[in-house]
Amino acid sequence: MVNFTVDEIREMMNRKRSIRNMSVIAHVDHGKSTLTDSLVSKAGIIAGTKAGEMRFTDTRKDEQERCITIKSTAISMYFELDEPDLAFIKEESQRDKDVKGFLINLIDSPGHVDFSSEVTAALRVTDGALVVVDCVSGVCVQTETVLRQAIAERIKPVLFMNKVDLALLTLQLDAEDLYQKFTRIVENVNVIIATYADDAGPMGDIKVDPSKGSVGFGSGLHGWAFTLKQFAEIYADKFKTDPQRLMTKFWGENFYNPQTRKWSTKQDVGYVRGFCNFVLDPIYKVFKAIMDFKKDEISKLLEKLNIVLKGDDKEKDGKNLLKVVMRTWLPAGDALLQMIAIHLPSPVTAQRYRMEMLYEGPHDDEAAVAIKNCDPNGPLMMYISKMVPTSDKGRFYAFGRVFSGIVASGQKVRIMGPNYIPGKKEDLTEKAIQRTVLMMGRNVEPIENVPSGNICGLVGVDQFLVKTGTITTFKDAHNLKVMKFSVSPVVRVAVEPKNAADLPKLVEGLKRLAKSDPMVQCIIEESGEHIVAGAGELHLEICLKDLEEDHAQIPIKTSDPVVSYRETVSEESGVMCLSKSPNKHNRLFMKAVPMPEGLAEDIDKGDVSSKDDFKARARYLVEKYEWDATEARKIWSFGPEATGPNLLVDVTKGVQYLNEIKDSVVAGFQWASKESVLCDENMRGIRFNIYDVTLHADAIHRGGGQIIPTARRCVFACVLTAAPRLLEPVYLVEIQCPEQAVGGIYSVLNRRRGVVFEEAQIPGTPMFVVKAHLPVNESFGFTADLRSSTGGQAFPQCVFDHWQILPGDPLDGKSRPYTIVMDTRKRKGLKESLPDLEQYLDKL
Amino acid sequence: MLYLIGLGLCDLTDITVKGLEIVKKCEKVYLEHYTSVLYNVSDNIEKLEDFYSKKVLLADREMVESQSDEILDGSVDGDIAFLVVGDPLGATTHTDLILRAIQRGIKYKIVHNASIMNAVGCCGLQLYNFGETVSIPLWTENWKPSSFMDKILANKKRGLHTLCLLDIKVKEKSLEAMMKGKVAYEPPRFMKTNEAASQIIESFETLDQKEYDGVLDESSYCIGLARVGSDDQSIVRCGLSQMVNEDLGKPLHCLVIEGNLHPLEADMLALFTK
Repeated sequence: MVNFTVDEIREMMNRKRSIRNMSVIAHVDHGKSTLTDSLVSKAGIIAGTKAGEMRFTDTRKDEQERCITIKSTAISMYFELDEPDLAFIKEESQRDKDVKGFLINLIDSPGHVDFSSEVTAALRVTDGALVVVDCVSGVCVQTETVLRQAIAERIKPVLFMNKVDLALLTLQLDAEDLYQKFTRIVENVNVIIATYADDAGPMGDIKVDPSKGSVGFGSGLHGWAFTLKQFAEIYADKFKTDPQRLMTKFWGENFYNPQTRKWSTKQDVGYVRGFCNFVLDPIYKVFKAIMDFKKDEISKLLEKLNIVLKGDDKEKDGKNLLKVVMRTWLPAGDALLQMIAIHLPSPVTAQRYRMEMLYEGPHDDEAAVAIKNCDPNGPLMMYISKMVPTSDKGRFYAFGRVFSGIVASGQKVRIMGPNYIPGKKEDLTEKAIQRTVLMMGRNVEPIENVPSGNICGLVGVDQFLVKTGTITTFKDAHNLKVMKFSVSPVVRVAVEPKNAADLPKLVEGLKRLAKSDPMVQCIIEESGEHIVAGAGELHLEICLKDLEEDHAQIPIKTSDPVVSYRETVSEESGVMCLSKSPNKHNRLFMKAVPMPEGLAEDIDKGDVSSKDDFKARARYLVEKYEWDATEARKIWSFGPEATGPNLLVDVTKGVQYLNEIKDSVVAGFQWASKESVLCDENMRGIRFNIYDVTLHADAIHRGGGQIIPTARRCVFACVLTAAPRLLEPVYLVEIQCPEQAVGGIYSVLNRRRGVVFEEAQIPGTPMFVVKAHLPVNESFGFTADLRSSTGGQAFPQCVFDHWQILPGDPLDGKSRPYTIVMDTRKRKGLKESLPDLEQYLDKL
Repeated sequence: MLYLIGLGLCDLTDITVKGLEIVKKCEKVYLEHYTSVLYNVSDNIEKLEDFYSKKVLLADREMVESQSDEILDGSVDGDIAFLVVGDPLGATTHTDLILRAIQRGIKYKIVHNASIMNAVGCCGLQLYNFGETVSIPLWTENWKPSSFMDKILANKKRGLHTLCLLDIKVKEKSLEAMMKGKVAYEPPRFMKTNEAASQIIESFETLDQKEYDGVLDESSYCIGLARVGSDDQSIVRCGLSQMVNEDLGKPLHCLVIEGNLHPLEADMLALFTK
């Protein structure tokens, strides 16, 4: 541990080229937090009595108990590179010339999918990511999710293969098999990278490559790790060559003949793969000698490796000795920190290409330029990515990244929420920042100010922002882009206080809960019910526990969880739907059609969005979905919220003054697509075509009051005449288990309408992976059910995957969707009968 | 029988004798209460009730447009009077109500009265020389239709005057509340001539210059009329840009854009020119 004073840290913060902001991301249980511990114990800055304790970044009691990370936590570290290592850093923007040290701000994030929103928030404030993969189970569903998110945010990844000790001790793979396992993981990761990133993109080639040193191997638990760089340095003298050249020989199709001392690219007789011969072989030898208790060999090896055991360590044997030896020989901290310092970008490097992804305003204004240059002398631009509870109940630190300028205690700033529009006053507050603080795991240290490229917390901003926002000193600044989450809050419960008099406390508690979690939604239904919506069962459980114990501190009752549905159509409207305005002088003629498969998902992903250039968007729709070219250019609106997966298209011909009612029709469409006709749920995957419009001759008689309700009625009539259907959310479930548990999994899935679509053995292990689709509605209690049916051997990971039509006609009184519609209407306090088409459809 | 009875422009006593007699024998009397208001009576419905010795029911937009059946129900067997400020089929149209009455086999009669459409002659312009009438809607932040300009320009190009009726909002539903599924009403608003003039001037920006060049500009003459038919009616003639600064006082207002003037028209207008 380096014992730094706050002043010394503040000095380091000015060295923006020598800063690394990074997050650790992985699938659940692949060992992020444990690995982070080994980094912290090597380089953590604030020394304290707690240092070195296990799971440093898991600050909450429940995190420690469950051994699972729930909230992301930031930690700062200081690390110095040796002179020869500095040679690996070639770019000027990656290091301040006169310093050897690096300030590393690390954010440990949760691996469980239910908390993906925490990962998103962590990625936003960092520039690089350490992707941890368990080398036994390989690349898993959450690895892909978080990696994809990282790339979308333009975060450069490096890879770490964890749990190599397990592969050696339990799987007993031989060297070549282990190499093959490693290559497969590297390939899998690179496939994901290649799918979502472009080599020609602004980040350049970001694929991970062991021979470049951007892949680490080791064991977080045992505290050892290496990259090929470590081994290349060991052998560099022997071969009298440059370590960087040697590294390329240690990976891929390079074979060495120890007898002839020659390299070849073919595996002829007598030739051994470079990686196996020079890297794995020594490790295998150490493992074998120690695990077989061969005292003589051990002492010989230790001498060769220059390892001197101290005190108690001499008495150890077996696994304990192995741990000590490996840790002394290949300390994890060094290898990882070197990899981070050398391969991850500094804020200066990263902000150059991240600005255009981050800033909503023009890319050449003062703020944009300052972000691009990571300029501490420019206007302040800071993004608040999440709220961290303080010890003071109900108050929060606003946690975020300074992209340009300097944020200081007492500074007067503009606090802009996500709904702020430049030039307007909505969602804008001008206030002074009370204090700026450094966030270090569970400790907080006041600091006078923080310059661009760094991460910090603010006091006194929380009451002006709901969850996220932009802080600036530049009057004309636009917002920094709102984060896009990979999961959506599809599971919801209603909460009420056990004691009715506690209602005000509950309402206050819900407000705090909404702040403390980037994803959770707290809604009040029309019926007066308080709804909490989360990404999954676990997420909700944690939220409700927080609500009860911390935020509201009252006993609460919760309803059974329910899922949210979407309303869609399965055919084109059977009739041309006409709705007349209240004064009967304006008439709208519309029809609904289901969108082509895939378009709604494209809109979700942002491949088709309201912000696109309309010509480019039209070209895309014509090419991919065979839309009519003229119609594709006349998309009036996306909805709901102007971005959702429903479209309003103008297919009229030569209607005069149509533009004058456009806003009103769009407003009606927004309203209707948000609260659709069957049971007030959002619409999804519907395209509405406006065929004709009759308007009153005079503008006064076709104002919003006339057109908005009419457009809504017409949209409803369109849905009701187009064979409406309900969509339910479906999880992708990935279950790892031993072979004998597979049968149990099938029976549980069958009971719950789950459909298995893939079953495969993990190569080189006796474990199986079963992948299935499972309706979210059937997922409550799924984990517990699965455990009991498989004797605790199967662990599922559920990620929201897609929306699926719930079979049956909701208008048919005996169908399942009908029951759901009625239940939902009842819960929302709506009239408990099917909507009447007569109310919406007018006669000519 | 459904009687649609015009009330005239301003005072209680503007109703015709014929109209008054019918009102007195009707079983139910509705006052249409959203397209215009009687200046000297405005919201004081008791005055009307005293004058007719009858109970008068207010019919707002919602009632006339969405719940007209209630009005029509009474006229199947009995006599119902539907009072409209101005002329029943003048500046605003209640044809929809008539059509629905006919559909249900209900007979109807119309009692005409003066409307701004003819009373505008008080400023001296001849009714023969008016072109299409337009309404100028109250703009909101996001809704600024300027289609009235097309008609004003078309009239002007033919040398015709344009009568601009100015928007009123007596009991309009608030759109914001409506989107939340609630019912709330906006406070009453009446457009004045100065607002109308400034909206016209602003509308120039949305047009192509060659559309209005040499036809209409900020200095073109317009005539503002307020409370026509009342004792304190007010008429002012000046350029559009000057009109922006003129306050003609209490509602209702309307605005005329001059076309080509006949010498007699010019003489008369001189009385009001500022």
